[in-house]
Amino acid sequence: MNASPETLPSALAVVDQRAAAKTNPETVTAIMLLLATVLLIFGSKLISPALGSWEQVLTILTLGSFLLVAAFGQGLVILTGGLDLSVPGTFMLGGVLSAAWIGSGDVHLWFFLPTILLLGGVVGAANGLGVVLLKVPPFIMTMGMSIIVGSIALGYTGGSTLGAAPTLLKALMKGDTLGVPNIVLLILVFSIAGWLLQSRTHFGRNLYAVGCSPAAARIAGIPITRTLVLVYALSGIASAFAGALLTGYSNGATLRMGDAYLLPTVAAVILGGASILGGSGSFINTLCGVLFLSTVESVIAATGLDQGWRLIISGTIIVLAILIQQAQASGARPGLSRLFKRSSGQPKS
Amino acid sequence: MPDATAATLQMQGISKSYGATVALENVTLTIGPGEVQALLGENGAGKSTLVKILSGVVRPDSGTLRLNGEVYAPGSILQARRSGVTTAFQELSLVQNLSVAQNLFLPSALKGIAGLSSTKAMHAAARDILERYGIGHLGVATQVSELALAERQRLEIVRAMQFKPSLLVLDEPTAALADVQWLFRLVRELQVQGTAILYISHRLAEIRELAQRATILRSGRSVSTVDLGAASDGDIFEMMAGHGVVRSTVVPLKRASRPRPVLVVNDLEGCNVKGVSLTVGEGEIVGMAGLEGQGQRELFRLLAGDGQPKAGQILLNGKLLRLTCPRDALRAPGGIAFVPEERKVEGIFASLSSANNITLPVLDRLSTVGLVSPHREARAAKAPAKEVDLSDRYLNFRIGNLSGGNQQKAIIARALLSGAKTLLLFDPTRGVDVATKEAIYHAIRRHAANGGSVLVYSSELPELIALSERCLVMYGSRIVADVAGSDMRESYLVGLLTGNAQVADAVSH
Repeated sequence: MNASPETLPSALAVVDQRAAAKTNPETVTAIMLLLATVLLIFGSKLISPALGSWEQVLTILTLGSFLLVAAFGQGLVILTGGLDLSVPGTFMLGGVLSAAWIGSGDVHLWFFLPTILLLGGVVGAANGLGVVLLKVPPFIMTMGMSIIVGSIALGYTGGSTLGAAPTLLKALMKGDTLGVPNIVLLILVFSIAGWLLQSRTHFGRNLYAVGCSPAAARIAGIPITRTLVLVYALSGIASAFAGALLTGYSNGATLRMGDAYLLPTVAAVILGGASILGGSGSFINTLCGVLFLSTVESVIAATGLDQGWRLIISGTIIVLAILIQQAQASGARPGLSRLFKRSSGQPKS
Repeated sequence: MPDATAATLQMQGISKSYGATVALENVTLTIGPGEVQALLGENGAGKSTLVKILSGVVRPDSGTLRLNGEVYAPGSILQARRSGVTTAFQELSLVQNLSVAQNLFLPSALKGIAGLSSTKAMHAAARDILERYGIGHLGVATQVSELALAERQRLEIVRAMQFKPSLLVLDEPTAALADVQWLFRLVRELQVQGTAILYISHRLAEIRELAQRATILRSGRSVSTVDLGAASDGDIFEMMAGHGVVRSTVVPLKRASRPRPVLVVNDLEGCNVKGVSLTVGEGEIVGMAGLEGQGQRELFRLLAGDGQPKAGQILLNGKLLRLTCPRDALRAPGGIAFVPEERKVEGIFASLSSANNITLPVLDRLSTVGLVSPHREARAAKAPAKEVDLSDRYLNFRIGNLSGGNQQKAIIARALLSGAKTLLLFDPTRGVDVATKEAIYHAIRRHAANGGSVLVYSSELPELIALSERCLVMYGSRIVADVAGSDMRESYLVGLLTGNAQVADAVSH
C-alpha cells in the first residue's frame, strides 16, 4: 500500500536492470547446450541400453577433445571477425608429421612435438600476414593455405597411411592419472587455459575489440597487425596439436584426417553464441558447443545408419541448433545496433 | 491542439521495454498535417526508441498508433515507407559501398523495368532528385564512403524526403550540417505541402525557428507538449532535466605569460591540409572552427597518427614525432589521444561493457602475470567515468545498449584514462544532450586545469567560445586566423569561417 502506482513500475525497472546485468545471454546459451547434451545422453539410453554409459561419455570426451583444441583456435579467429578454413590442412600436417617424425618411440618427442606445433604456427602466421598485409579475405587466404599445406603433406607421405604414433601421445589419449582419465584432465586444463587467454588477458580483449570494430581498435591504439598475425598463428598451432592428438588416439595418421573437423569447429563456436561477424563469444561456450556436437555425433554413430544418412542427420542438427541459437540471440538484442555494427570494412594495417 | 481525427500521427499510450530496461512508458504524441513538431529530451529519454517505433524498426509492447486515422503498425522500414512514414536516421542508414544513386533507390532498384535495373535510367532519375533538393553537386555514381559526413547526412535527408511521406522523421538532421538553411528551406516546402514533420534536435535555436510545438520526453515518458512561443529556454531545460539546469559560467583564465608549448605543428602538408602551423600549450584549450570540409578533419587525423603528412613537422614536448598509426601517437612520451567524430564506427566496441571500453588501452597496467584482474579493472574504470559524470551502474552494461551521450562519455573517459596529456577532440558533443555537454565541458576543463592540453573542433561556435581560450579558424585547408579574448564573438568568427576576413574585420570594428 505504501508504493504509489506512479513509482512502482520505475522501481521495478531498476531492480530488473540489475538482474539483466547479471544474467547475460551467453550464460543462458551455455546452460541450454549442456542441458541438451545431458538430455541426449539419457535419451539415447531409451533407444539402446548400451548407450548412456560412462564409457560412452568417455568416448564422447575423447572424440570431442580434438574438436575442442581446433575449435579454440577457430574461436579466436572468428572473434576477430575472420575465419580459419586452413584447419584441415594444418590438422593433417600435425598428424602426419607426428607419425612420420616421432614414430612409435618417444626418443625425439621433446624436440619434434614443439617443432611440429611451431610449423603449425608458421602456417597460421602466413595466413595472418596474407589477411593483414596483402588484404586477402580470410576465407580465401586460409582455404588456399589449407590446400597448399595439405598437398605438401600428401607429397611427403606419398599418399600412404602412416601407422605409428608416439607412446606419450597414446598415453595422453588413453591412459589414467590417479584414476582420472588423462583425456578428462587434458580437456579441463585446456579449457581453463583457453578461457583465461580469451577472457582474462590483454591479448584476448584486443581480439574482441578488433572483431567489434577494426576502425575503433586502430584509433584506440591496438596493434592490429600483430594481434591478427598472432591469432592466426595460434589457430595454426591449435590445429596442428589437434592433429597430433588424433594420431595418438587412432595410432596413426591418415590423409584427409582433418577434413571432418572444419565445419564442426565453426559450428561449435557459433552454437556457443559467438557472432560469426566477430566481437563476441566465450571459450566456455565453445566448450559447451563441442560437448553437444560430439554427443550428437556419437549418438548418431550408434544408430548404425549408413554414413550418408549420418552426415545428413548431423548436418541438419547443426543447422537447426544454430537457427535456434540465433533466434534466441536476436530476441535479446535490439536490431538496429546490429545493422550498423559492421559498416566498417577490412582492418587497415 | 489539432483535432484528433485530422491528425497525421496519433500515438496513444506507447510503451516499449528492452528486456528489463523500460525505454518508453505511456507516451502520447499528436502531429497535425503541415506541422513541424520538435521532440526534445536528454540522452536516454527514449527519443531513439520512439524513432525506431515510428520507422518500423521495433514494435511497441503496448499502445496504439494511428496514421491519418488508420491503425499504423509497421513491421519494417519498408512497410513504414509504404504507409507514408520515412526517417532520416541520426546514425545514417546509408550503405557505404554503394553509389549515391543506388542508395537513393534502395531497395527498389533491384526490381526495375522488366525486373532489371538500368544504371543509366537510375542515374538520370537520381540526378533529377538531387537537383530538385539542391544537392546536384553530388556525383550520382560516387560511392557513399567517399562522401564527407555532411554530404552523407544531406543524402540521408533527401532520401527520406523524396518518397513524399505524409510523416517525415528527422533525427538530429543538423548534427553534421554546417549549412542548416538548406534543410530549413526544404522542411518549409514540405510543410506547405501538408507533410507532418517530427524534428528531433538538441539545438533549441533551430527548433524555435522551425517548429510550433515541442513534445518533451523524460525517462521514457512524454512530460508535456508545449507551445514554443510561450515557453522559455529555461522552462524547456527544466522540463527535460526535471530540475533547473545550472549553466556553467566561463571564467577566462588569466595568464602571466604564454604557456609552455606542448604540441607544436610546423608547416604541415597533407591531403586537404596546406602549410598548417599551430601550437597548443600546457593547460591550454585551443578551439578549432571551420565549415564542413575545410581540412580540419584531415588535420586532426594527421595529428592523431592516422595517415602520414607529405611535409612538415609534428613536435610533442619538443620531440619530433614520426607517426605511422594512432598507436604511435598514444604511446609517444606525453601521449596524444584522439576522440573521433563517428562514435558508432570509430569509437565504441559495441559488444563489450562500458568498463571494458574505458580500460582497453591500459589493461596491461591492470594485469598480474599477464592476467587481467576483473576487480582492478572495475575499479580503474570508475575514476575516469566519474570525471565525465558517467553513472557507475552503466559500467557493466554493454556499451552498444547505452544512449549516444553515455557512449560518448565512455569514449572520453577512455581517452582520459589512457594517460595521454594531449587530447584531440573532434566534435565531442555532436548529437548529445545539454546535460551530457556540460559533463564533457567539465571534463575537458579539468583535464586542462591538471596540466593537459586540448585541441577541440566543434561545429557549434557558441561551444568553442565558451570552452576555449583561443580559437583557430580553418578555411580552404589552411589556418586563416588565431582569435583570442574579446575577438571570440560569433559574428566575427562567422565572417572568418566563410573566408571573409575583411568583412569580419568590418563587423568587428
